Amino acid sequence: MRYYESLYIVNPNYEQGKLDEVMKTVSETISGFGFNPINHFVWGKKRLAYNIQEHKYGSYVLLHFETESPENIDSFERFMVLQKSILRNQTVVLDEKPNKQSEKVSSNEEDKKDLTKESAEKTTKPLKEDKPENTEDSEMKEPEEEALEVESEPEEEAPENDQSDKGKENEETE
Amino acid sequence: MAFQSKRKYCYFKENSISDIDYKDVKLLRRFVTDQGKIMPRRVTGTSAKMHRKLVRAIKKARNIALMPYTNTSTES
Repeated sequence: MRYYESLYIVNPNYEQGKLDEVMKTVSETISGFGFNPINHFVWGKKRLAYNIQEHKYGSYVLLHFETESPENIDSFERFMVLQKSILRNQTVVLDEKPNKQSEKVSSNEEDKKDLTKESAEKTTKPLKEDKPENTEDSEMKEPEEEALEVESEPEEEAPENDQSDKGKENEETE
Repeated sequence: MAFQSKRKYCYFKENSISDIDYKDVKLLRRFVTDQGKIMPRRVTGTSAKMHRKLVRAIKKARNIALMPYTNTSTES
C-alpha cells in the first residue's frame, strides 16, 4: 500500500458551493482510479507567492489517499492538469500513513468568512476583484518586513578616527 | 579572541527534526534570503543530509506557490 498527498489550488473566485463541487468531482475520480481517500479538506484561502493565471489568491485543498495501484497516478495527475478550475496541483509520495484529521475549525471558518465577503463584493463590483484586499494585505505585511530589515542591517560603526584626524590637521596648520 | 564568531549548528539536529514538510513555510523561510534564494550550507550550518531534504522541500513549496522563486524589490 502506498500513500500519497495531493495539494491543489482552486480558483479563488469560486464560492463555497462551487468549491465543494470541484472537491466532489476530484473525490469521484480518485475513487474511479481505485484510490481510497483518507483526508480531503480545504486548507484555506492563501495569498500566492507569485501570480498563477493572473490570480493573486488561491484556495488550497489538501487530499490524502492510499492505493495499491500506483500506475494510475499518471492519469490522475493528467486529470488534475486538465481541470480548468484547478490552477496548480502537486502530488507527493508519503513514507507513512497520514493521520486522519478532523475538519479544520479555526482557520477554515475565517476563510469561509473571507470567501463570503469576496463573493458579495464581486456581485457588486465584478471588474475590481482583488484591489481592496491587496491594500489591506500589503499593510499587514509591512511591519514584519520592516522588522526583518532592521534585524539584518549591520550596526553602524562609531566614528573613532575623527578625533585623531582633527589632531593631525591641527598639527599641520601650526 | 576579538573576532570570535558565533558557532554554527544544524537547526534540525538541535531540534531533532528528521523530516521536513514542504507545507511548513514558516520553517523554510528561515533558510532563504529576502530575495527568495536558498542560503548555502556554509552560512546556515545545516548538515549535508538535512540540507538536501531542505532544498527539496523548498523547491516543492515554490512549485505550489507557497514560496516565491524570486522576490525582487519592484514587486509589491
